[in-house]
Amino acid sequence: MEIEVGRVIRSSTTRFTVGCRVLQPQVPVFGALVKARAGVEIYGLIYDVRMEDDPFLRQIATVDDLQPEYIEDQRHNRQVPIEVGVLVVGYRHNGEIYHWLPPQPPLSLDVIHTCGPEECVAFTRQFDYFRLVLESRDLPADELLAAHLRYAAQVRGKDKDSFLLDAGRELARLLAMDPIRLDALLGRIRP
Amino acid sequence: MSDDRLLDIWFHRPATPTGTAAARRLGIVVGGSLSEGLRVKLDQNTVVEGMAVGRYVVIHGQTGRRFFSIITDVALDAINPAIEKTPPDTSDRFITQVYQGITTFGRLKVTPMLVLDEGSQEPRPVKTVPAHFSAVYEASEEDVSRVFGAADEQHFYVGTPLDMDNVRVHLNLERFVQRSSGVFGKSGTGKTFLTRTLLAGIIKQGVAVNLVFDMHNEYGWESEGEHRYRVKGLRQLFPGQVSVMTLDPESSQRRGSKVDFIIRIGYDQIEPEDVELLAPLMGLTDVQVGALYFLRRRLGRAWIERLLAEGEAETEGPGELEQILDEGKLHGGTLGAIQRKLGMFRRFDFLQPHVSVDVVGKIMEYLDRGMHVILEFGRYGSTLEAYILVANYLTRRIHERYVQRKEAALGRKGEEPRPLVITIEEAHKFLDPAIARHTIFGTIARELRKYNVTLLIVDQRPSGIDEEVMSQIGTRVTALLDNEADIRAVFTGVSGAGELRQVLARLDTRQQALILGHAVPMPVVVQTRPYGPELYAEVGHEEGEDLQSKLERNVALLRGEQVEGFD
Repeated sequence: MEIEVGRVIRSSTTRFTVGCRVLQPQVPVFGALVKARAGVEIYGLIYDVRMEDDPFLRQIATVDDLQPEYIEDQRHNRQVPIEVGVLVVGYRHNGEIYHWLPPQPPLSLDVIHTCGPEECVAFTRQFDYFRLVLESRDLPADELLAAHLRYAAQVRGKDKDSFLLDAGRELARLLAMDPIRLDALLGRIRP
Repeated sequence: MSDDRLLDIWFHRPATPTGTAAARRLGIVVGGSLSEGLRVKLDQNTVVEGMAVGRYVVIHGQTGRRFFSIITDVALDAINPAIEKTPPDTSDRFITQVYQGITTFGRLKVTPMLVLDEGSQEPRPVKTVPAHFSAVYEASEEDVSRVFGAADEQHFYVGTPLDMDNVRVHLNLERFVQRSSGVFGKSGTGKTFLTRTLLAGIIKQGVAVNLVFDMHNEYGWESEGEHRYRVKGLRQLFPGQVSVMTLDPESSQRRGSKVDFIIRIGYDQIEPEDVELLAPLMGLTDVQVGALYFLRRRLGRAWIERLLAEGEAETEGPGELEQILDEGKLHGGTLGAIQRKLGMFRRFDFLQPHVSVDVVGKIMEYLDRGMHVILEFGRYGSTLEAYILVANYLTRRIHERYVQRKEAALGRKGEEPRPLVITIEEAHKFLDPAIARHTIFGTIARELRKYNVTLLIVDQRPSGIDEEVMSQIGTRVTALLDNEADIRAVFTGVSGAGELRQVLARLDTRQQALILGHAVPMPVVVQTRPYGPELYAEVGHEEGEDLQSKLERNVALLRGEQVEGFD
């Protein structure tokens, strides 16, 4: 089941930002696989969900005895949207999935959807995109990858453990020279 | 899961019908050289504990060649050496599984031995190495069988490769007797059993006649194995083909060993050369050895008798010895020492002042008839001096006759003497570097088969054997050795076999041997075949029970109770 997350407000080849109005229980979540549907489907992982303030919000935050209705109203009718940061990890063209950067970024106001279980399984069949995540040093890359892998494992049902083992082995290969980082990461995805 | 798979689980269908296709992939070649062996990285799923030195692997090269190789070392390795300092939490199964085979993995060192070209059936010695990342497979039984051939006129089954009970390793006995061979191993590792098996093979195939200097009376008649069960001697297995001679008839009688001939040697038949080999044992100095030759010249054939006699009775009038001393040709102390040391001969009952029978001629007569001769030493087996004296005495003369015959045969074709294999135990005493150059055994080992005489040396300290002699040993059958020097000695003169040292040092203490050299296409670790009923049957010997049942069957037949099968 695909759920709309929001529309692109800023984008580049490696990352883009999605604006959305309200936090739904399932969307957007940290580590989820999302896609922009515009010609080629661009896949990304949600690495950040940010709520900026606005002048009215700052004022209202200081009000004593704040009514719940105000709070609800402020949350639903935001002046500035919630910003969702997405790290590009691949794309699909003519049905083929590629785990490297797309030729063009998504356009502004492209709609971003979450990926359903089947698509998630299809995308995580290979692990070539791990490097794109691990090398984004300014992001909480390890946390992001761990959250993503836990989610990808969950949608696999009974094949969960073998999936995590394979992913863990790929990580071990990539992070062989950094055993402490590897240990921490493996500790986060351990079934 | 498909229905087929389910059925397979229930009915356990073998994965693939043919042996070759089922060969398990172990890893890939990642480096190495022909001289130092190849390095193989094990695949993630290959269990390092399942590997063992001495086993065979087959490397499938890029050009369709298959390289038969032997595992010479098993090691652990890691991508990051720091993992040794910060090992992961191994209590967590997941973490262990992730690490296994990825950041940490097993490594093999394998030495290529033979190569089989694509489409060819004849393996050749290896002269190159497979390319990087060539896949390494466990050798299938079919592969190993192809290398070691089938049993035929020349090939004799000696054992099975490690973990391959259905494959038989055959020794090419014709090649085995072409050059001198050796059976080595620490005491208690089954040298005697191995030797007995080899001798049985030589007798059965008739590739040579044997002369065995049987120090501990283990080859001719029944003797007790290490586990206190009785094993049959060669004479029992090959009645009519093996003749037993003895130095100690009482001992043979006690053991129930049937003896054809009692060896007696006359003092007057012993030459200084026969005594010289004993010099280190008897403590004879170079001067004293020189004096032996002098005394032989002066005193004539009866030199030993006269030396011993004068040593006993000094009251007699001035004999020739006094005269020699007076002349100043010999120092009194030297003479005294020689007399004292030769006095040991008096304890050897097989030495007598005069013997009318030509012992050497007698043995030659047997050998000429194709009879194998086993010489039992009885109680003298524990006296090394007696063993060396007799072995040297006989071998020198037999070799001399072989040389004469061979040379005569070169003139008039067709009268070549039968190939002879002389088995000696405690060989390092004969082939010590200090004396090997002068002794007949050193000569025989060096001259190869020029005169149709070769040695089968049985020894537990190969490091004590002259290097030059060791390098001439064609086939080495080696049970466990753990002394570094001994291991080094076994590999003297074997090119590229240094890698096999690990293999040798890791053999089981029993019934395992490494065979390398002339008689096998490549070095092989074998689980040696038991010397027991199965071997008895193969060489044509029938056990008492078999004979009994045959008798009963024949009786039944004569009485008309049975129709077929008279034997």
